[in-house]
Order: sequence, then C-alpha cells, then structure tokens
Amino acid sequence: MSPVVTIALLTLHEAVRRKLIAACAAITIGLVGLSAWGFDRLAHTASFTSGEVDVAIPQTLILFMFMFSFVVALSASAMASPAISAEAESGVLLSILARPVRRSDVLLGKWLGLATVLLAYAAVVSFLEFAVVDWVSGFVPPDPVVVALYLFAEGAILLTLTLMLSTRLSAIATGVVAIALFGASWLAGVVGSLGLAFKISSLTTVGNVARYILPTDGLWRGAIYYLEPQSFVVQRLTNSHDSGGNPFFAQSPPAWGYLVWVGVWFLAVLVAGIVSFDRREV
Amino acid sequence: MLGHMDPGATSADVHGSPAVHTIELRKAYRTTAALRGLSMTVGRGEVFGFLGPNGAGKTTAVKLLLGLVRPSGGEAMVLGAPAGDRETRRRIGYLPELFRFQSWLTAEEVLTLHCRLMQLPRARVAGAIDEVLETVGLADRRSDKVGSFSKGMQQRLGLGVALVGEPELVFLDEPTSALDPVGRHDVRGIISRIRDRGATVFLNTHLLEEAEHVCDRVTVIDHGRSVATGALPELLGGKSSVRIRVSGLNDDALRVVAGFGNLTHDGEWLTLAQIQPDQIPALVSTIVNAGGQVGAVVPEHQTLEERFLELLAKP
Repeated sequence: MSPVVTIALLTLHEAVRRKLIAACAAITIGLVGLSAWGFDRLAHTASFTSGEVDVAIPQTLILFMFMFSFVVALSASAMASPAISAEAESGVLLSILARPVRRSDVLLGKWLGLATVLLAYAAVVSFLEFAVVDWVSGFVPPDPVVVALYLFAEGAILLTLTLMLSTRLSAIATGVVAIALFGASWLAGVVGSLGLAFKISSLTTVGNVARYILPTDGLWRGAIYYLEPQSFVVQRLTNSHDSGGNPFFAQSPPAWGYLVWVGVWFLAVLVAGIVSFDRREV
Repeated sequence: MLGHMDPGATSADVHGSPAVHTIELRKAYRTTAALRGLSMTVGRGEVFGFLGPNGAGKTTAVKLLLGLVRPSGGEAMVLGAPAGDRETRRRIGYLPELFRFQSWLTAEEVLTLHCRLMQLPRARVAGAIDEVLETVGLADRRSDKVGSFSKGMQQRLGLGVALVGEPELVFLDEPTSALDPVGRHDVRGIISRIRDRGATVFLNTHLLEEAEHVCDRVTVIDHGRSVATGALPELLGGKSSVRIRVSGLNDDALRVVAGFGNLTHDGEWLTLAQIQPDQIPALVSTIVNAGGQVGAVVPEHQTLEERFLELLAKP
C-alpha cells in the first residue's frame, strides 16, 4: 500500500473515529428533513399559482444548496486547518516523517482523505435534497450530478488552499484566513453582480478578478446554473432588469477557459503546499 | 523482534560504514546556534550515549540525522547514506522526545500504521506487532485507545514504534523521561537486547545514570559543541578517590601520603582524590609502614555525573 493511500485511510479513519461523519450525517438529515417540510408547504400553498411555484421551488432549492455549499466550504476549512500545523506542533508528525515517506505523500494523503469526505458529503447531501424536492414537488434539477461535482469542487478548492496555509500557519490562523478568503470571494461575487445590475464596471471587475484569485464563488455559480431549469434562465434573461444583480442566479455555465484556470489554480496551490511543507522544519 | 544478526560476523564487517558519522555539523536558527560544528562517529552495534544538559543541542542533532531539519553546514552520514535519505529511514527507528500519537487509535493500530509506513511485508506485520507489544509491556493494552494511556504508557508505545521492523539504528530521545523506576529498568533491558541483536542505539539523554548503565561510548555536548567523547572508562580518566580511616600518622608521614594524590583530611578520615586505583595497595602499605593504623579503606570511583559537571564547568 502506498504511503499516500495509508495516510488517506488514516485521515478517513480519523473522520469516522472523531465522529465527524456521524455529526455531518445527523445535521444533514435534520436539515434535509426541515427542507422537505418547507418545500412541501411551498409546493402546496394555495396562495401561489403553478407558475409561481415553478419559479419558487428552483429558487428556494438554490438557497438551500447555498447553505450546503457553505457547510462544504466550512467543513473543508475546519478539517484541513489543523492537518499539518497542529500535528507538527503536537509531535504527531515527528514519528511519521521519520519513516521512509516523502512529505508530499503525507500532504497528498491528507488531501485525498479529506477530499473523499467532502465528495461523499456533496454527493449524499445533493442526492438527499434533490430526492426530497422531487418527492414533494416533482422538480429535479437539470444536471444533479454536475451540481454535486461543482459543490465538491468548491470545497476541494478551499481544502487545497487551507492545506497549503496549514503548512506554515497555526491551525487557528489557517482556519481564520481560509474562511475570511472564502467569505471575501463570495462577497466579491455579489459585488460583481451589483456591478452588472447597475452597470458599474469597476464593481464588475472586482467580481471577475476575485473569481480568478479564489475560484470558490466561480464554482458556486456553476452549481447555480445547473440547478436552474432552462425555462427559469430564459424567463430571467427576458426580464432584463432581473438578469444581473442576483447572486443566486447564473445565466451561463462557467466557460471552459475558466475551468482550465481552476485546474491550473488547484495544481499551483497544491504544489505550493508541497514545496512549503517540504521546506518546513519539524 | 530482538533476534540476532549473523553471529559469524561483526556488524562492522557486515555493513562497512559507521552507523552515524558527522563532520562539523552545524545548525543555526534565527537567533541561536543550536549546533556549532559537531563531529562524531558512532560505530555499528554500539550503544552510544549523547549526553548534555537541557538545550545543549541533543534533539536538534537527532532531528538533523533523521532529516527532520536541515543543517546550516557540515556533513552527516547515517548508515552509509546522507542524513535524511528516504530509503535509509526504512532501517531506522525513532522515539522523539516530545511526541504524541493519534489519541483516537488503539496501541495496535498505531503500530499497524507504522508497519505500513515502513512497508513491512504484510505477513510480518502481525508477528512484529505482537513482539513489540510484548517487549514494551503493553500486550494487555493493545486494544485500548492511546488517549486513555498515561504518559509513561505512551512512552512505552513510542519505544515500541521505534522498535517495530527490527531497525538497524534506533534513536531514542530521552526514552525514560516519563517512566517510573520499573519502566526505566525495563528500558535498560530493552536497550541491551537491541545491542545483542547487533543494532546500534543512539541514546539521547540528560540522565547520566541511564548512560552509565547501558552506554558503550558517550559524547558530551554543551552549547552545541562536543566537549568530550570516548568509552566511559576513558572519559572518567581511570581516576578515582579513596577514603581511609587512619590514626597514628605524623606530619612527615602525611606529606608522603600526599604524594599519592590530592589529600584532604577530616578528623580520622583522609581522602585522596585523583589517585589511580592500582596505587591504593601501595598507599595502604606506605601508611602502615609509617606507623599508621588503618581502620577502613573505601575506594570511590568518579561518577559520570562528577565528570560531566567537571566537563561543563570548563571555560
């Protein structure tokens, strides 16, 4: 068994033993259950026309998925921030790094283990939420698998950044910086939307640049697009006053060029993390 | 676990290179110099004591030899390869001074993890773990979580982790700091058994009694420099002192006696320091021939602690 797989399995083992999986499962079941009740009320209220329900359900689903994307991002940050620094400070890493393993094996193993947890969470929460919405309202997003993948990718990007920071900063500093950057990236996306709505090019530029500096919001926009039924997009675009300014609306999927950039960003930050860890003295 | 190497050959014949060899090894941090040019050689199969007060640079030296920190200068070879060489680490065991294992794993799981990281053949894992747990006295706690262990038990587990896979070289950094007297005695036994199978032990300690009991050779370091190296009898200089209870000696006789060493007297008791042990019978004869009546002769060897303090007191 390669050291990367050994460390990844150890990381997964820790997630199970430390009741991370159980806690995530419990909170997810609770939230999905509550959302089932909410969607049922929404779908069967007498005060909405069927056309209004067709708009309200996807829009509300986007809001719920935003909450889950937030949970994915926070989980990525919380899990990864102590991964290197706290273990280096406590001495856990000493006996591991004295073994015939590369430091990159340890970092990649931790990434793989934590990314597996995120992927499983994104897949399960997406499946449960979509199944519940389908059950109570009959609405299914056009590309549910792609939505789950974007949700995971958003978490994986923050995970990679947090792990890189964790090779140098303390656990608490890493967590604070990662969450602050994630929040700033999302807010920059909102600012960019406002720039579009009010035709203020400088604000639009802020949103666009931020999507390249930290691609979490750009990927969240991808998830939004694949949550929207095509009729919903067309309707929004025809109401020109409503096409911009809404942070929970995406009129097009992320361009291939942008996705390539996300791949480059991911590799660059991962390599930076490996180099940084390699140079760290423990 | 603690089996023997080829009994027909010395370990030096088998391996050809010293276990550890450093030349002017240096390590400087931003504001302090932890090592200021350490040169030493540790032969294969010996128990080598690396002694020094707290902050002398002992742990830094071990971390340099394992590649956990990078040197600022000098050279270090471990088992014939540059210090930190990844493949060579397969043949090394390490008990850090300040360490922690994953509290949510059991003792057996910690050892399994390290067997996997060492890439020990799967067929050897179960046997290696059983043997190590037996050696360090944790066989009956193998299924308990590390988080429930006392500090002493964690140190025993750390020792077990260092021994897993029969390493050729074992670095033990303050291995008994958390152990009770029984545990310390056990560790001395374990170290002897590691030596018996031909492996090398690099023992980092500030507990001189520990070094005196088990080490073949020692290096004393202080402020990042080696201040003395050698086998224990060499280091102690073969000098000892003797206390003699004597009566009936006049001043002339005392002057003759003082020729054997540094004489001090307290009532009936004379103390002669810096005397070679083989001169004691001649000393007693001299006293008797001078009319002295000898009531007791108590030879006293210089302890490592006395020598250690003497070395550290040098400017």
